[in-house]
Amino acid sequence: MNPSGSNPNVQQAWFSLLKSRTAGLACFTTLILVWMSLWNPTFLAWSNMRDIAVSAAPVCIISCGLMLVLVLGEIDISVGSMMGVLAAAMGAMASASRWHLPPGVAMIGTLILGVFIGAINGWLVAYLKVPSIMVTLGMLTALRGVTEVIMGGQWITDLPPELRSLGTGTWLGIPICLWVTAAVVLISLWLIHRSTLGRRIYAIGSHPKAARLAGLPIARTQCLVFAWTGFLTAVATLVSVPQLSVVDAGIGVGMELLVVTCVVVGGTAVSGGIGNLSGVLLGALLMTMISTVLIFMKLGENATYWSRAIQGLFILGAILLEPWTRSRKKP
Amino acid sequence: MTMKHCFSLLSPRHLLRGFLITWILFLSACGPSAPSETTETVTDNQAAAAPKETITIALIPKKKGLPYFTSCASGAEAAAQELGNVTLIYDGPTDGSPEKQASMIEQYALKGVDVIAVSPNDPDVVAPAMRKAREKGIHVIAWDADAVTDARSYFVNQSTAQAIAYGMVDTMVQDLGGPEIRAQVAIVTAYLTAANQNIWIEHMKTRMADTYPNLELVAIKPSDEDQKMAFKVTQDLMKAYPDIKGFFGISSVSFPGAAEAIKQAGQSGKVMVTGLATPNSMKAYVKDGTVKSVVLWNTAELGYLTVQVGAALAQGTLKAGETTFEAGKLGTKKIEGDHVLLGDILVFTKDNIDQYDF
Amino acid sequence: MDAFEKKTLKARFPSWLVTPESLLIGLSMAFWFIMGKLDHSFLQWEVQRELSTHIWETALMALPMTLIILTGGIDLSIGSIMSLSAVTAGLLHQAGWPMPMGCLAAMVVGMACGWFNGWFITRFKVHPLMITLASMAAFRGIAEGVSQARPLSGFPESFTRMGNDAWLGLPIAGWIFAGSLAMAAWIMHAHRLGRCIHAIGYNEQAARFSGLRVDRMLLGLYTLSGLSAAMAAIMFMARRNTAKADIGAGVELGVITAVVMGGVSIFGGRGTLAGVCLGLFLIHETREFVSWHWSRDELNLLALGVLLILSVVFQQLLGHKQAS
Repeated sequence: MNPSGSNPNVQQAWFSLLKSRTAGLACFTTLILVWMSLWNPTFLAWSNMRDIAVSAAPVCIISCGLMLVLVLGEIDISVGSMMGVLAAAMGAMASASRWHLPPGVAMIGTLILGVFIGAINGWLVAYLKVPSIMVTLGMLTALRGVTEVIMGGQWITDLPPELRSLGTGTWLGIPICLWVTAAVVLISLWLIHRSTLGRRIYAIGSHPKAARLAGLPIARTQCLVFAWTGFLTAVATLVSVPQLSVVDAGIGVGMELLVVTCVVVGGTAVSGGIGNLSGVLLGALLMTMISTVLIFMKLGENATYWSRAIQGLFILGAILLEPWTRSRKKP
Repeated sequence: MTMKHCFSLLSPRHLLRGFLITWILFLSACGPSAPSETTETVTDNQAAAAPKETITIALIPKKKGLPYFTSCASGAEAAAQELGNVTLIYDGPTDGSPEKQASMIEQYALKGVDVIAVSPNDPDVVAPAMRKAREKGIHVIAWDADAVTDARSYFVNQSTAQAIAYGMVDTMVQDLGGPEIRAQVAIVTAYLTAANQNIWIEHMKTRMADTYPNLELVAIKPSDEDQKMAFKVTQDLMKAYPDIKGFFGISSVSFPGAAEAIKQAGQSGKVMVTGLATPNSMKAYVKDGTVKSVVLWNTAELGYLTVQVGAALAQGTLKAGETTFEAGKLGTKKIEGDHVLLGDILVFTKDNIDQYDF
Repeated sequence: MDAFEKKTLKARFPSWLVTPESLLIGLSMAFWFIMGKLDHSFLQWEVQRELSTHIWETALMALPMTLIILTGGIDLSIGSIMSLSAVTAGLLHQAGWPMPMGCLAAMVVGMACGWFNGWFITRFKVHPLMITLASMAAFRGIAEGVSQARPLSGFPESFTRMGNDAWLGLPIAGWIFAGSLAMAAWIMHAHRLGRCIHAIGYNEQAARFSGLRVDRMLLGLYTLSGLSAAMAAIMFMARRNTAKADIGAGVELGVITAVVMGGVSIFGGRGTLAGVCLGLFLIHETREFVSWHWSRDELNLLALGVLLILSVVFQQLLGHKQAS
């Protein structure tokens, strides 16, 4: 993945492109909402919007972390398997038939485990200089195996109510997972715009050589970003897995693809250096909304077989928005 | 690394050298083929000369890690211990991939096990591998889900696909309050390409069309073996069809997901849900009234019967054309053609679900 | 060497010893030794030949993937192209077309899909990861829609024989792979294209300025990748006598794993076909042996992941620098 040039004109062009991408996504989302409300007014009901948001919550949370990883010029495709292993660990810790630890301990244990796995990724990438795609590819396979071993052919069906309330509970009428998502988004915004770490991430992503010559702590930043992604994956696990009463071994399969798609659709450049949080969130929301839209449209039985194609064509359309708004030729 | 270095490494000489070294080493490491053990094709009509010392049975589920299959395996293990001379290998693809299953069958055939018992994910994909195994003289039986007829000698069936599908529809009608109730229903299946589920769906549609015209099937949606997706799909269907009254969760992953969605929407008892799942995963829902009935069968007995049939085949005590089979502590089981029948489906309700632990 | 780079182990060993390929050969030898000690029946020629049928499709697709990754790109959609090609052939066979025509149509479809990817990469300068991610979803969806998720089988015996027969000891699929490997090796060494691929991977801008027809070559590579996916689909259909919309799912992961294990730099410019072959070999043997000896599929995933991580870590430790 070659980083884009350091030419200021290029950067300017990217930023204006990004603004137009976010604007474009926002327009697209509004269009869909308007159209669906005409087709079936119940689509805009609070309960439906809330459920779509709850469904998009784990994707949004992980996307916040993954966006920073992509901005840094790396990639992390192990988030799905990470979620699986964290869910299995959380279940094993909290379940009465397994290790039967207090729910608080299980929660903190899951968070620590998430940071730990993320840190291993980060360490391999930062200090052993292994390309992130290889590390996370290996982790994707290995962690899925670990999940199967932990589950041992049984599902966990007795999560304690305290943990379940993380997924199903509400506070002031709004589900807890939405509060957590909002908190994560605020922290990410602060991280990107106000903290030195954020500035460093963007700097390293846009021009690694210059960043190194400027003396930025590249290895430490890389490690931190991966650990942060692991932490966010753990948070997403804690708020989404307890929504269901059964923890099975297949949790998180395919999640990495979904998250990368959301982040990329949202306008983050795969080559690094460019990333916009609002685009990412809109991307996550759009991706989660597609399946609901298709059900509401009641297209009939045959159309079910085409739903995956429609989703794919939609992603294609979102990705191809980019060339049409491009104002200059990429060198 | 300079360009020159790149190209020098790629030079045909280096490549050739590397390859030759690799292949010579490989061929030398490979010994000659093992002397062929049994070249005669053992047909099921021939009885073995004497009881075999140890029989190795490979039990292959659709997807290892599903509690449904783990419970079958526990029954199978019990049978193996009871018989005494049976070594049971229980392994299957953790991702449920038919290609992986076929590869495993091929491996077991090469290892020379006595019996391969497989529950095929996709009958067509595993058929060639099963036939190859039979040619090598290994007994191949299907269990839980049928394979292509000429690829296996027997099919240990818990119940016919038709009985399972009809059972689910009948249970739903009962839960709804009777065949005169008009209701919209939806099916939440596994993958759209899942062979078993598709057979059940066809039978369900037939049952609904013939016997229960008051039921209207409004949607069939996949859940891709993802509980979260089953949850979301059920949620969306309830909103898109406000009059929907019943859901079928016809996979052990989609059933709990659908039940949870109904429960969280506050529709427990108003919207019915039934389907196939292990009693343990649905106990909480049955107790709180979200689910009235769970359709399944005694999985441990299914595994037990499979091992009994496999061992009997290997010993030669089960011959073609027989109509009954002595299955250890299960008693006498019927054989219809080449189907060994376990019995009927089981319906778990509030009254009997505590008796089962799997 | 850059003054900022730390002195690596590389300087202490002869240069040919510290290449990823040598490391893989060493690993293979170590594995054979261990496998032989643990379970000698695994190393019989009959067994190995039968088990090899599992790997030929992945191996075939790994060849163009190597070329693509050498240029700094990637193709995630090969699994979906495989599905779409298989469904095409299956549906045409069901409609009564003769099998060779169906296969030809499948190959045309595969090439068209690959060309579609390549066109967007070269003409609209979309990043390969993005477009192949999208086409991965789109192509599989089209395959599912067109086939209505039904399985298609019942192919003629003359066709399925191709999947199950062997010629001179090697399965026919193995010969197809060998032929493709020979062709790929010829492209990389004897043909100008090989040098161009390395040039593009090393520095695309410089390659363009040197007058190389970068766009044309990339388009050709992605089309070739689509063609190989179609051929893999045909091989699969012959072997398993079925065509369905989900047969390619997850294949791209195995292919990319094999390629990166073979020492091909993900940034482009560095890598050999020999390394990829060794990587394929190593992954295949590990996977088969873990199943053979321990019969626990979950260990398989663990072993594969650990193998990949360890192998790339060792590659890094030995000083093989990833060009960036």
